[in-house]
Amino acid sequence: MKIFLLFATVCLWNQSVLVVTADASDYVLCAGGTLAKLASGGAQITLVRVTNDDKDSVNLLPEETANRVRQESEAAAKELGIAKVIHLGYRAGELGGVSPTELRDRIMFYVRLTKPDVMFIPNPYAEYVEVLDRHYTGMAAEEARRTATMPNHQPAHAIAGLSPHIVKELYYYSAPVDPRRREPEGPAQFVPQPVVRDIAGTFTRKLRAAQALTTINQAMAAAIHRRLEDTGRRLPLFDRGLTESAVAKLVEENVRGLAALCAKDTQFRQAEEFHHAGPDYQVPLRYSGAAKR
Amino acid sequence: MYHALGILALAAPLFSQPLGDIPPGKTFLIVQSHHDDHTWQWGFSGFAARLVDAGWRGYFVRTTNDEKDGGAGWGKNDQTNLRESREAIRALGLTDVISLNWRNDHMESVPVKEVRAQFILLLRKLRPDVVMTWDPWGHYDRNPDHRMVSRAMGEALWLAGQWNVHPEHRDLGLVPFRPGRVYYTFRSDYGKGHGYNVAIEFNDAQMRRKADAYWAHKNVFNTPDEAKRIREALAVRNLAIPELAGLSDEQAIERIRRWEIEFASRETARNLGVSFAEKFWMVNEFDGLPGLKDYLQKKAVKR
Repeated sequence: MKIFLLFATVCLWNQSVLVVTADASDYVLCAGGTLAKLASGGAQITLVRVTNDDKDSVNLLPEETANRVRQESEAAAKELGIAKVIHLGYRAGELGGVSPTELRDRIMFYVRLTKPDVMFIPNPYAEYVEVLDRHYTGMAAEEARRTATMPNHQPAHAIAGLSPHIVKELYYYSAPVDPRRREPEGPAQFVPQPVVRDIAGTFTRKLRAAQALTTINQAMAAAIHRRLEDTGRRLPLFDRGLTESAVAKLVEENVRGLAALCAKDTQFRQAEEFHHAGPDYQVPLRYSGAAKR
Repeated sequence: MYHALGILALAAPLFSQPLGDIPPGKTFLIVQSHHDDHTWQWGFSGFAARLVDAGWRGYFVRTTNDEKDGGAGWGKNDQTNLRESREAIRALGLTDVISLNWRNDHMESVPVKEVRAQFILLLRKLRPDVVMTWDPWGHYDRNPDHRMVSRAMGEALWLAGQWNVHPEHRDLGLVPFRPGRVYYTFRSDYGKGHGYNVAIEFNDAQMRRKADAYWAHKNVFNTPDEAKRIREALAVRNLAIPELAGLSDEQAIERIRRWEIEFASRETARNLGVSFAEKFWMVNEFDGLPGLKDYLQKKAVKR
């Protein structure tokens, strides 16, 4: 047993993880606890943040917003134990006008550079996720994972020393809004399966990471406040204004609410939900463990 | 037998939706691709008529110019369909048709940002409490205008509330805005993408106005040949529809069109204990914040 645990620890220690996110908050809220757990185990995690979040603020110019969120995003990543953050710098809300191939190839570059064992990407198939940058990023990242394996994609990479790479495991994450998110759509051989991961041990780090995103959190609080005001309501939490502590409390409620929602009907208290393409994914049944079982 | 009953019992909840209420508010905005989208069997006309009766102000956005819809040629179709669209909204009691006039069936080649920008401006200017539009998560829609409007509107609903999106709007005195409720519709016979979580009831008088609005689009629905073909096909089998006896083909097609839309509304209402209904996927004000939804519902109080 001890030898097995030692072996598992060594494996995890060497694990390379690549996280792709459309914006600063999505991966933190949907996968932060799981990533913190992997980082604690020694995994080397790289984050690719596609947009600069320049729209998500109140009374700040886009340039100032982008600068602040960049710094806050790095602070959040640090809380989770992420080793490196790469900012691609696309303008937020505008990925619908970006060439999907261009975006795919930029993500593919980092797949070949960091050679991850595991990738975390936004689930582009999750329905009713209103931030459509997440859909476009998910589509590009999913494709990047595939094209990174083929030498005929971006042959110039080979000249620069970047060789094709196969990512063994893939997690799709998204906010739990899709009403059918827990229904398997097909067999694990062809379709990533819904899984739930326990995050009780890393919840506090996830919360701190989410709270580090102060500019985005202020914008979220202001939007809620405005909506309530427009409809003749108020949140007692905001009675002294949208103070730092009030916003931090709101974020805590959000992160706790998400963890409880994902843990619903499971054995966990706090959790995160994913769709997981594991070792059996796209492996013919006769070669996979599933056939032997 | 027991298996069949079991399947029926399991299936029942899937096909029954709660009857929705009229949300708080006073303005609604219907954004669709074509002149008649709001009036057909997957439209919003019954709901719109009910909101108007409850004192709401409604606007209908026709995103394309409908130049391909009808047999009169591009220019004439555009003008006729717009005129009939205005007649339809008058029947329902809406305030105005806003025609954006993008080229019909060519919307896939338009950048989504250009269409979205117009929607964001309308959202901020009209500040609708309720928006009704195509479901961006519907599957298998072959119509490029439906696909583009659903995507552009999906982006507009997300971005209209953000401060740094189209900051030039501030010079018009327009501020970021998010509608409280969005009702999505889609072809219910196209794949699994679009589902329903709410049904909206409407009454006999509202049903009649819905039928009036549907029939207002005569450029596409006034097809006497179709009535003739139906009667001939029935006659071959020694069948006839008594209600159509003595009517000309022109009169018969109107009767058939009205039955068509009434039948769809009755079918939707079946098992709901009401006469007429429409079904939608409704997204409520804080559904996009699943971690906070319950908290806000519990903690928000009246001012």
